Amino acid sequence: MKLQLIGLSHKTAPLEVRECLAPPPESVPGELHRITALPGVREAVMVSTCNRVEVLAATEDNAGEAELTGWLCSGRGQAPELIAEHLYRYQGADAVRHLFRVASSLDSMVVGEPQILGQIKDAYRTATDAGTTRTVLNRLLHKTFQVAKRVRSETNIGGAAVSISFAAVELAKKIFDSLEGLSALVVGAGEMAELAVEHLMAQGVSKVQVANRTLERAVDLARGWGGHAISLDELGAVLGEVDIVIASTGSPSAMITAKMAKAAVKARRGRPLFFIDIAVPRDVESAVGELDGCYLYDIDDLTSVVEANRAGRAVEAGQAERIVAEEVVKFMSWLAGLDAVPTISALAAKAEEIRTAELARTLRDLSELSPDQAAALDRLTQALVKKLVHDPIMFIKGASHNKSPDTLRQQLALVRRIFNLEENGGE
Amino acid sequence: MSTTLHWITLAAYLLGSLISLGFLVRQRQGLYRMGLALLWIGFGLHTLALAAAWVEGGVLPATSLRQSLDVFSWALMGAVLVVNLRLEVKILGALAGPICVLLLLAASVLPVVPSVKTAAFKSAWIIVHVISIMAGYGLLALTCLGGVLYLTQDKALRAKTMGPVFRRLPSLGRLDSLNQASLLAGFLLMTIGLISGAVYAQMALGSYWRWDPKEVWALITWLLYAAMLHTRLVQGWRGRRGAWFSVAAFAVLVITFLGAGLLMPGYHSFSSLTGLGGPRP
Repeated sequence: MKLQLIGLSHKTAPLEVRECLAPPPESVPGELHRITALPGVREAVMVSTCNRVEVLAATEDNAGEAELTGWLCSGRGQAPELIAEHLYRYQGADAVRHLFRVASSLDSMVVGEPQILGQIKDAYRTATDAGTTRTVLNRLLHKTFQVAKRVRSETNIGGAAVSISFAAVELAKKIFDSLEGLSALVVGAGEMAELAVEHLMAQGVSKVQVANRTLERAVDLARGWGGHAISLDELGAVLGEVDIVIASTGSPSAMITAKMAKAAVKARRGRPLFFIDIAVPRDVESAVGELDGCYLYDIDDLTSVVEANRAGRAVEAGQAERIVAEEVVKFMSWLAGLDAVPTISALAAKAEEIRTAELARTLRDLSELSPDQAAALDRLTQALVKKLVHDPIMFIKGASHNKSPDTLRQQLALVRRIFNLEENGGE
Repeated sequence: MSTTLHWITLAAYLLGSLISLGFLVRQRQGLYRMGLALLWIGFGLHTLALAAAWVEGGVLPATSLRQSLDVFSWALMGAVLVVNLRLEVKILGALAGPICVLLLLAASVLPVVPSVKTAAFKSAWIIVHVISIMAGYGLLALTCLGGVLYLTQDKALRAKTMGPVFRRLPSLGRLDSLNQASLLAGFLLMTIGLISGAVYAQMALGSYWRWDPKEVWALITWLLYAAMLHTRLVQGWRGRRGAWFSVAAFAVLVITFLGAGLLMPGYHSFSSLTGLGGPRP
């Protein structure tokens, strides 16, 4: 069994490429089934956030890599080779480390931001619902959540809580000077958008309106902020009344066009309008950013603020990396042990088979034995077999924990030959 | 007396500007306060120097290019310092300070022309005319500076780097308030200046309006600023358009101030001020 991780993130790919790879949430189960249908692929989880698209797969040895790449790159509305050049691929321990780092928010645009763990949990839930995870990924993902929790509690990486919202507030202050009494419009609901709104309100934004595809959710959110909900059809009209727009819908096409923004600026008599677009694919047409009086920042633009914050966290990150490294070793040894499981169970099964067959023959010959004596004979054979296979099993287990995968494979093969165990005997 | 004060003023402005520039680079609040204090001291001395020149010369010290530049730098510094009291725009000291230093230096190297001691320059109307026009020029120069800053910050915001320029410049909102306030006040003073000038012309020369080149340019400038005020308040030309407008209008103002005073013949030109008679009895 082998782990493979393939994907791209804000570190390797521009927004334009990430946009075309990010699947709409409802199509993820279908994508997962398509992945597990690839030859050699046994289990799969797909993580898709606005900053990354990643597929984690448990595959048979040396299988699936080319297929996974092919699946990820083709039919995405961009040339496969263009996407392929932005991809990273990790295997085995590297894949585990990458996943641990991502979940612990060490690979995030804003190191230490808390949302990524929730996003990975969602991705895992989607995969279990679709039935594309089994032993390996179930264990790996649960371990991942533990690692992320450990990093969070043992280091101070999330302490400064600097995030997208922080950047948004800084920018808004450079546009409006004071946020006192301004009004904001939230288009689409998401954790990141909620956080941003709360930061803005803490700085004095006093009126919030929420537009969402499902009005119920919009009403819910609006109530929490003391604002009110509007329908998506009213967007154009409302744009003229608000100062800050936070867009984060899952819509595949732009919700706010340059035409709408232009009309809004006119209605506002030249007072500026600040768009924060944290959706991928983007919700606000990029032409909006060139209009007089409109300032548009998308998710990639917000990175710059974060850079300044990175230095202070280097120490915490170092500590977190140590935790990750430690946990990777633990998981890999478990995974290696998993490779030994079929051999161990085959060995035990073969011994038991021989024992029961021989015991049955003997009991047939010794028909005058009392039930007590027969039971004693049964116990005797059990003890014999158990003691005989105990050492070989301990040898395999020891090898699986201490030896490299290659050595382990060779030794397992040797054990199989000595005991004449069938290949692929049981799981 | 006035010459000594002139040089001390220049020294205070120079030091204040250098410290303000130091603040611009290092962003230490202490430097900002020190630079601002020096500029205030310089402005006080400047006011004294002009008053002394007025007493010594017996007339308003604005009869030559040398004196006009001197008064203009005083007006600009005054506008900056006063507006800064309400709308703190910390970068202005580092920007306006050096400009005032250069204006004063230019005034220092220009030839000294004996003051025109005609009765004309003792009339209250002409004192109001000159002072309000010059103060208006100072404020409108500030509008232009604010416009340049606005355009720079707008560009920095669109560059999305959040770099040093972005961090040092004030917010667009504040710059917009600065532009609006200085534009309103500057326009008001310019209007008062033009009206008092016309009234004086009626008294001294017998007609309100004589199509003198400076008068024509001043009218053009005034109309431009009136248009700017209108588009800003009625049509919402704030932002980039308003900023460009303030820069363009100031370019025309400079033509009025220097061009019409130096290049075009007319009774407003510095060389012919001597010929100007006093008010008719």
